[in-house]
Amino acid sequence: MRIVIAEDTVLLREGLAGLLEDAGHEVVARVGDAGALMAVVAEHEPDLAVVDVRMPPDYEDEGMRAAADIRRDHPDTGVLVLSQHVETRYALELVGTGGFGYLLKHRVLDVDDFLDAARRVNEGGSALDPEVVATLLSPQPRDDTLGELTPREREVLALMAEGRTNAAIAKRLWLTERTVETHVRSILGKLGLPVSGDDHRRVLAVLTYLRASTV
Amino acid sequence: MQYRSWLWPVLPTSPPPLASLVEEVSVDVEQRFGGSTVARDPPLHENDGVRIAPSVIAWCLALAALAMIAGGVLLDLIAAEQHVPDSGSAWLYPFLVTAVSAPAAVGALIVSRRARNPIGWILVVGALSLAAVLAATPYALVALEAHPGSLPGGSWAALVSSLWPVFFAWPLAVAFVFPDGRLPSPRWHPYALFAACAMTLLFAVLLVSDELESPFADVPNPVSLRLPDAVGFLRPLAWLSVFGSLIVGAAAIRVRYRRSKGIERLQMLWLAYAALLIPLGVVWFLVLALAVGDAGSDNAALAFLLAMEAAVAIAVGVAVTRYRLYDIDRLINRTLVYGVLTASLGLLYALVSLLAGVAAGRGSTWVTAVAVLVVAAAFRPLRSRAQAAVDWRFDRVRYEGLRRMRTFVDDVREGRREPEDVGAVLADALRDPGAELLFRLPESDAYADRLGTVVARPSDSERAVTSVEHRGQEIGLLRHKRALLDRPDLLRSVLAAASLAVEIARLRVEVRLQLAEVEESRARVVRAGYEERRRLERDLHDGAQQRLVTLGIVLRRLQRSLPREAQILGPALGSAVDEVGEAIEDLRTIAAGVRPPRLDEGLAAALADLARAAPVPVDLEATDDRLPEEVEAAAYFVVCEAVTNAVKHGSPSQVRVEATVTNGSLRLLVVDDGSGGAKVAGGTGLMGLTDRVEAQGGTLLIESPVGAGTRIEVEIPCGS
Repeated sequence: MRIVIAEDTVLLREGLAGLLEDAGHEVVARVGDAGALMAVVAEHEPDLAVVDVRMPPDYEDEGMRAAADIRRDHPDTGVLVLSQHVETRYALELVGTGGFGYLLKHRVLDVDDFLDAARRVNEGGSALDPEVVATLLSPQPRDDTLGELTPREREVLALMAEGRTNAAIAKRLWLTERTVETHVRSILGKLGLPVSGDDHRRVLAVLTYLRASTV
Repeated sequence: MQYRSWLWPVLPTSPPPLASLVEEVSVDVEQRFGGSTVARDPPLHENDGVRIAPSVIAWCLALAALAMIAGGVLLDLIAAEQHVPDSGSAWLYPFLVTAVSAPAAVGALIVSRRARNPIGWILVVGALSLAAVLAATPYALVALEAHPGSLPGGSWAALVSSLWPVFFAWPLAVAFVFPDGRLPSPRWHPYALFAACAMTLLFAVLLVSDELESPFADVPNPVSLRLPDAVGFLRPLAWLSVFGSLIVGAAAIRVRYRRSKGIERLQMLWLAYAALLIPLGVVWFLVLALAVGDAGSDNAALAFLLAMEAAVAIAVGVAVTRYRLYDIDRLINRTLVYGVLTASLGLLYALVSLLAGVAAGRGSTWVTAVAVLVVAAAFRPLRSRAQAAVDWRFDRVRYEGLRRMRTFVDDVREGRREPEDVGAVLADALRDPGAELLFRLPESDAYADRLGTVVARPSDSERAVTSVEHRGQEIGLLRHKRALLDRPDLLRSVLAAASLAVEIARLRVEVRLQLAEVEESRARVVRAGYEERRRLERDLHDGAQQRLVTLGIVLRRLQRSLPREAQILGPALGSAVDEVGEAIEDLRTIAAGVRPPRLDEGLAAALADLARAAPVPVDLEATDDRLPEEVEAAAYFVVCEAVTNAVKHGSPSQVRVEATVTNGSLRLLVVDDGSGGAKVAGGTGLMGLTDRVEAQGGTLLIESPVGAGTRIEVEIPCGS
């Protein structure tokens, strides 16, 4: 993958670049703010941009806004946003469109997961931090459909929402892919969502559903 | 429009410049209640060694007048020794001395204090000429009759004595230019000229006529012109003209009074009060004429003239120097009260004497004793009745105003009315609906209205401003219509009656303002606390956490790039990374405790995180509305504290949290089914919670019966 990194803390930026290069990816540009990010994305048309949420000059949500711009102007470039803490305001809107991931920064330490998320986002899939998923799956007084799910189904649903494929879910829960598929079909049935063979589409449907029921 | 008045002879000062006259009549509001404060004119001339100060000249002339009248008295006593007719009326001496000394002293005083006002000179010169005329009579009596030949110029003295109408000269002059030393308007110039001509003509006729005035009718006039009988009409014409001038002078005073306001009205009132002596004098004259007979009536008339002269001089003095100027209303009021009182007491005495006389027989000492006793007993109630009657009859506004104010102060004392209403009552009592009372805040030297709104000191513009004082301190300002300046007695007495209520109201307003300030500062402190938390949270997330993540990445890369022979280090590096991960988790927990970052997304998001993290099920219903930042922060920490408290002390199975916005305030409800019995006492979390809520101007209600759970209800105004 050809990757650009936007992160204002130099050491962290170099660390991230190192991790990605160790995994065989090519880091084509490293920048420290949103303006430079837009420039290098336009220049290199990379496969993926890894973006810090807070960057100069205001340290608010420059990264998130740049991510939205990139998704709009360069649909072939996936964006993986890294954040210091959970902030769901814009993340949920973007993650529903695919090619977008939102992770807390320290998830990077789980290198394989991180690389997997980067890969999924690059392929047009999604990645959502487990903590964000947890906020989505918390009991909602307005909708108790989620309450009808079995505990196992909730686990599967959470992993689906994180953007994982059936195979990944099976591996993580120590189940066979077949069992996972059964669960998935049951969940989608209970939530009234169309069954689809495409992992990504399925994830998007789930996210859209969760977002609608949260907000 | 400067014009020289004809009236003063040769004055050492030039006519007053316009500016000083404006200064003279301008009303200094601050000084209105100063009473005796009299602004002194600056010295007129630099002392260049040659000029003599006008005041010195004036005092010398005054002393000369006094010396002259004293000499006159002495000569009269000498004449009386020889039993010369028309001499030796000793009772007249005080009148003579007073009639000269009063205008002399007042005139000299006015010259030294208000050098630019010619009235001082008019009085001094008037007193001097009066003294000359008055002293000339005994001089002539001694020189011509008691000891003929002992003194020179006896017939000349008799001639001077004949000029007695000089009595009218200075009062007439004053009538035209009182109180500021100028004619009422330039239109009056011809009238003044006429009066001057009349006076001059009279003096001329008297000077050159064949026959001198009584008692020197048989003394030959040394300057007689032996005018033909054909011009005999001049004498009555001169007298007629002088009387006409006196009427014109009275008209000038009337015109002045009718257009006078404020200080000038009071000045005119003083003159009018002195003029009251004229009808009294007529009565006195008639009584004397009846009692003493024709012989005494000449002297009686003289005494009356002299008394009037003195009274007018004193009144003019008060008016021009403004010393105790404001007492005139009270003086008139008192005169009326004591006049009525004396009359009614006399009537009462007569009535009781008559009745008791009938009962006890004439001439009994009991009659007098009983009458005196009755009169003494009736004095006090009669006096207050007379006072009320006079107030009611002659000054209804003041009477009503004072009554209302006193009733109000009583009501305040009894707790029936709020002291802050004093402004409205003042407006009512002074009959000025637009009157506005401001309380003075001594610490900030500012003013506040009854609601505690701080305002700047109002200027004395289209409405007048009068300060309200209590024990010599300014405690407030009253803005009122300018017309009230003409009633300083009304203003002063009503404000004096109101001052205690004003002071109480002022103190209350002050306390309320200070309380508001304390509350504001507490809110500021709390707000600063929230801001500090936010900054700390950012530092933790963007600083320490980033460094830990960086460290973790370095370790992870190290672990993943170990050469085959160093693989043994892999697990150790792995657990180091895990340790870093733990540290990050700890840090995030701490940061979230300092301030949950999701507060940025709104109260609902932050509370949802809180509910998810709670160790017991939390049933949450929160508004999605965005509220002011510090309201959201306060609400979050209140709920956080309440839930923590519930879990810690009540071990509930379920907590219900509600956050709703109704009518511009945020209502929070935290209900648990725990053991209850929570108390707001020092040191518990609930105390801090109360502080937080109150700092936002909110209220907190805790119901926690033992064994029946705890219900905390909070309301915070949020302006949406």
